[in-house]
Amino acid sequence: MNDVYVVGAGQTDYGSFPRESYRSLFKEAVDTAVDSVDAEFDRESVDEAYVGTLGVGGRQLGLPGPAVTEFAGLNGTATTRVENACAASGVALRQAVLAVRAGVADVALAGGFEVMNDVSSERTGEWLGVSGETEWERMAGTTFSGVYAQMADAHMAEHGTTREHLSRVAVKNHANGAKNPHAQLGFETTLADAMNAPAVADPLNLFDCCPTSDGASAVLVASRDAAEELTDNPIRIAGAGQSSGRVGLFQRPTLTEIPATQRAAEQAYDEADIGPEDVEFAEVHDCFSIAELLAYEDLGFCERGEGGPYVASGATEPDGERPVNLSGGLKAKGHPIGATGGGQVVEVFKQLRGEAGDRQVSGLSRGLTHNVGGSGGAVAVHVFEEGWA
Amino acid sequence: MGAYVSLPTWWRSNDSRYRLVLGKCPECGAHNFPAEGVCASCNADADFEEVEPEGTGTVQAVTVISGGAPPEFDEYQTREGAFATGIVELAEGARLPGMFCDCDPSEVSRGDRVEAVVRRLYEQEGVPRYGVKFRPVE
Repeated sequence: MNDVYVVGAGQTDYGSFPRESYRSLFKEAVDTAVDSVDAEFDRESVDEAYVGTLGVGGRQLGLPGPAVTEFAGLNGTATTRVENACAASGVALRQAVLAVRAGVADVALAGGFEVMNDVSSERTGEWLGVSGETEWERMAGTTFSGVYAQMADAHMAEHGTTREHLSRVAVKNHANGAKNPHAQLGFETTLADAMNAPAVADPLNLFDCCPTSDGASAVLVASRDAAEELTDNPIRIAGAGQSSGRVGLFQRPTLTEIPATQRAAEQAYDEADIGPEDVEFAEVHDCFSIAELLAYEDLGFCERGEGGPYVASGATEPDGERPVNLSGGLKAKGHPIGATGGGQVVEVFKQLRGEAGDRQVSGLSRGLTHNVGGSGGAVAVHVFEEGWA
Repeated sequence: MGAYVSLPTWWRSNDSRYRLVLGKCPECGAHNFPAEGVCASCNADADFEEVEPEGTGTVQAVTVISGGAPPEFDEYQTREGAFATGIVELAEGARLPGMFCDCDPSEVSRGDRVEAVVRRLYEQEGVPRYGVKFRPVE
């Protein structure tokens, strides 16, 4: 099996950008990724491109992939659009990894984009929640935040998770996001403010929820031979796991776990020949505060049911034993659906290369990304290590 | 645009919508809702035995939606305000999502006993869509 390396990664700022288009955002992400490559990089050397987008707003439902890659100068590159809801670009990355491993591509691009803030609130309502189970879950009046709220309700009842545990996630991720120039909500918050925010879907409040975002991300991966020509500071993708689960929460055997995360993580750990205890830092899918607590447990960072006490212990703070969401996470950095998984890689790439600026944690050599579609219908987990294999 | 359930799709599921017909797996005995696909419990691809449940169950998880309901429920939320929706486990063991009715939304809790009642859910393209909601039982 060919080893695969990240040789470049870039993203736009996340936020609300009425003067930008989905094409201009994606091109900016590609430009930034190309600029991050140590050697001169010819974008026409990209053999395969995988582009994640849900298609929010319906602006280009057919052929959104070629619509952005041609615009960004990847002329004629085989382009495949990936739709796996919020896990679109995490899954796109895995497709790029598989293409290089298979020997089909020497260099591949994985990325994504989403524009969520240029449509009317009426249309936004039509699009938010489309990744829930439609026939039954949505038709029970369930919003997307409502599904995670049900998971939070069950987790609180089964494991004693508290309002404060949830808000600790928001406080930590906002503190991290305040140091990230790409962050949409780059401000700090207090525990009191986070705990007393207006209700959205009880028990979740406004500070438990990520924002809607515009943005794009791009990651360049290469085979060992190609990577040796492009960098002396390689980041290896040591493990790439993916799994699916029932789309509706009610269809799963548990309301307090995401089985697809557990399976994807097991695959990624097996490939990397590590266990969860070896993960030094992670970017996890905190679309809602409860989701970060579930991620701790499903990824094996703490015992089942102990996600709340784990965040309260400070273990996932920048100076803790295993920093989580140093970028600010979806909560503070933002969540442009199709771009999110690629954006997580940007943070891990920067941290491993010592290029994360004010939020750099020193001495990191192995990180993980965790990207969830819907409430657990699709999950991608990747493990990244510094250095040649 | 966005998510949409067509009328033919809705009507195809009327037995599930109105009577909560379950599929009992001949291999493991688990009850599936809706009664289609492979068994969610044992993955058997077998013909389910159709079972009509009594319609009572227990709340497994609940949330109160204060705003931003799916557009199908805009009119309902405008009229009624916040509503409670959650996951109910029927006495037979199958789980399904449902809205709670005939109660104060903030009063619904995990562990509460509820029963299914057929109600008007929403109207689309001039056609009312009916289905089950759950109301508390003493």
